[in-house]
Amino acid sequence: MSQPTPPSAATNPSPAPAPKPATVKIQVDGREVEADPKQPLIRACHDNGVDVPMYCYHPGLTPVGSCRICQVEVAGAPGQPSRVVAACRTPVSPGMVVQTDTPKAHETRRECLEFLLKNHPLDCPICDKAGECDLQDYSFNEGQGKGRSSEPRRKLEKRKSLGDVIVLDEERCILCSRCVRFFQDVTHKPQLTVSGLGSRSTIATFGDKPLTGNYQGNLADICPVGALTLKPFRFQARVWNLSKSLSTCAECSRGCSITVEALRGKEVKRFRPRYNPQVNQYWMCDTGRFAYAPVTEQLAPAGSALGGRLAGAAVRGYNGLELAEVESALSEVADILAAHPNPLVLISPFATQQEGEAVRELCAALGVRARFVSPAPSALKDDLLNTGDPCPNRRGLSELGFEPIEAAAAHTELAQAHAALLVGERIQELLDVAELAKLPASLRLIVFDVRAHDLAALDVAVGVPTHVEKSGQWLNVDGHVGVLNVAVPPPAGVGPLERTLRELRAALAPSAATH
Amino acid sequence: MVIVQRKALSLAERLYLPEIFRGLSITFSKFFEKPITRQYPEEPLPTDEVTRGQPRLVVKDDGAIACVSCGMCEVACPAYAITIDGGETDRPIEREPVRFEIDMLRCILCGFCEEACPKDAIFMSNELELADTTRRGLIYDLEKLKRPKAALQPRIDYVYRINKRWRSKQP
Repeated sequence: MSQPTPPSAATNPSPAPAPKPATVKIQVDGREVEADPKQPLIRACHDNGVDVPMYCYHPGLTPVGSCRICQVEVAGAPGQPSRVVAACRTPVSPGMVVQTDTPKAHETRRECLEFLLKNHPLDCPICDKAGECDLQDYSFNEGQGKGRSSEPRRKLEKRKSLGDVIVLDEERCILCSRCVRFFQDVTHKPQLTVSGLGSRSTIATFGDKPLTGNYQGNLADICPVGALTLKPFRFQARVWNLSKSLSTCAECSRGCSITVEALRGKEVKRFRPRYNPQVNQYWMCDTGRFAYAPVTEQLAPAGSALGGRLAGAAVRGYNGLELAEVESALSEVADILAAHPNPLVLISPFATQQEGEAVRELCAALGVRARFVSPAPSALKDDLLNTGDPCPNRRGLSELGFEPIEAAAAHTELAQAHAALLVGERIQELLDVAELAKLPASLRLIVFDVRAHDLAALDVAVGVPTHVEKSGQWLNVDGHVGVLNVAVPPPAGVGPLERTLRELRAALAPSAATH
Repeated sequence: MVIVQRKALSLAERLYLPEIFRGLSITFSKFFEKPITRQYPEEPLPTDEVTRGQPRLVVKDDGAIACVSCGMCEVACPAYAITIDGGETDRPIEREPVRFEIDMLRCILCGFCEEACPKDAIFMSNELELADTTRRGLIYDLEKLKRPKAALQPRIDYVYRINKRWRSKQP
C-alpha cells in the first residue's frame, strides 16, 4: 500500500456520460467537422482547432456579439454571394461552409479592430495585461502599424476603484460587456452596467457603489484588455516573467483547478482559475485567489527557528528552540516516541494522499490511529463554488481511513496526552496557536509544519513544504482528483513530507522492534 | 624535412657595432616625434554621441524617472543583465520601477535596451569606466543609474537621427 490510492470507482462515481448531443456536419476552412447545433459557430471553430479571435464572446457567458471581431465568411445559398457573420451569434446549421481565413473575413476583422483601437490608449508599457492581452495579440497579428485617425483619443478616468479588488481604467475599456454579463450569468447578482451613450459609454456599478461578493477577481481574468485589473496584483510583475504551474486551490473542499504563477520561478504572485468542466468551470472565488500570503511567507531570520518559515528542523535545547539538522531532529523524535508509546497523531486536512499514506505507514509502525483535524465550516459557503469546508482533502483522507476530529475535541485529547505528533501544513493555525500555547511543557509535542511557533510544549519542529512547493493529489468534495505541482522550490533543508515521515519510520525501526 | 640555408653575414654585420648604432639612431629619432601613446587614465579617451558606453536611465526635467518598468529592455537584453520590479505611483503615468538593476559585469554594451525602450528611458551614456572591489558593487541600482536628461541629450538626438524610421519625433 505504498502507492497512492487512486480514487476508486466505487467512491468516485464519475458523472454518467452525458448523452452525446446530436451533431450536424459543417465545413470549417475546407475541413468537414461535427458541430453541436445548440452551440454558436465560434465554439465549433474553437473545438476543431481553428482560431477565431474573440473579445466579447466568452465560453462561460452568453454571447452578445458586441465586438464583431469574430466575423467569418459563410458561403451563401447556391447563386448567392457569401456573407460575413459574427461567429459568436450565428447558430450552427447543417451543411454550413465556413471560411475563417479569407481576405474578406480578414478585411472585416481588421476594420473592426481599427475602431476598437481608435480610443484605446497605447499604454501597453504600463498596462498589467500586456503579454496576455487579446487586443494586443490580435493587433500584433492583424492590425496595421499606424492609426489613420488624427483626432485626440478619448480622455477618461484611468484609476477608478470598483471596490477592494478591482480597478477600472475607462480609457482601456473596449465595452465588450463581459464583466457585465459575468454578474448576470454566473453570480446572478447584476452589479455592473454600461452607462452613458455612444462614445461616452463607460462601465459603471449601479449607483457608483463598490462591487461586493466573493467573485470579483474573475473580472480581471475575463476582461480581454487591461481595463479591469486586480488591486493586489497591480504592477507586481510582467506576465511573461511569471512561471506557471498547474495546481489546486487549498481554501475549501471544492478544490478549484488553478494555475500558480510565480515571478521568476521564486515568488508566488498570482493564483488564477484554470478551466475544469467538472469542478470550477472558468471561475474561482476571491478567498482562494488571494490566498497566496501563507505560501509567500518569509524565512525565519538566520539562526532562529521562530518568526517565519522553518528551514530544516528545530529541537528544544537548553536555550529554547535551536536549529538542527532534520536527521538529528528525527532521531530525537524517535527517542521521544520510544519513551512515550501511543502518541496522539493528528494530521492536517491539507495533507495530500501521498502524505496520508506515509502517515498511515508510520501509525501502523507505532500501533496508533491518526485522525485529521476538521475545523468548523467557514461562513464563506455559497451556492456557486465555495463549500465553506476549509479541508481541501477531506474526501481523500476519509477514503484513506482517517477520521475527522474537531478542534475542540483535539484540544481535550492533547491536554491528556503524554506525546503528540501534529503533521502537515497549517495544522497549528487550524488548531489555534493560542490554544496550543496553553498546553503544559510536560507534553512532548512534535510538529511537522511550515513554521515553528513559540509553544511551551513544543519539543521538535520539522519544516514541511507548503502546497505550492510539493507535488501530490487531493480529492475534492465530489471525488475529483486535484493535482499539486512544485511551483516554487521549498526552502533549503525542507524535503517532501512523505519522505521525512518515511525517514522517521526508518529511525523508529530499531526502537519499534523492541515493543 | 626542409634544409634551411642561412645567409652568410657580411663583414659589417659581423663587426656588430655598426648595426647597434643603426638601431640606436632609430630609437633616438623617436624622441623628437609627436608621441602616439595616450596617457590613460590621466588623459581619458575622447567620446562623442556615437560612443556606446554603459546604459543609464533618464530622469526627466520634472524630476520623475522616465522608466515605467515595462520590462522591454529586460526581455531584449541578451546577457540577462537587467532585473526590474515595478510599483505604483500617484503621478499621471501610474507605474515606475521600484527596483532597476543592471549587472554591469554581465552587460555587454550592445545597446539593445536602448533600442527596445518604448519610453526613451534608457540610453547608452559615454561612461566607460567600471571598477569596484566587490561583484555586488557592480550591480548598479536605480541611484547609480539615474542621469539627468540633459547629460544624455547628445545621445538621445543621435538615436533619433539614426532610427528615423521608427522614432518619429522627440516628445
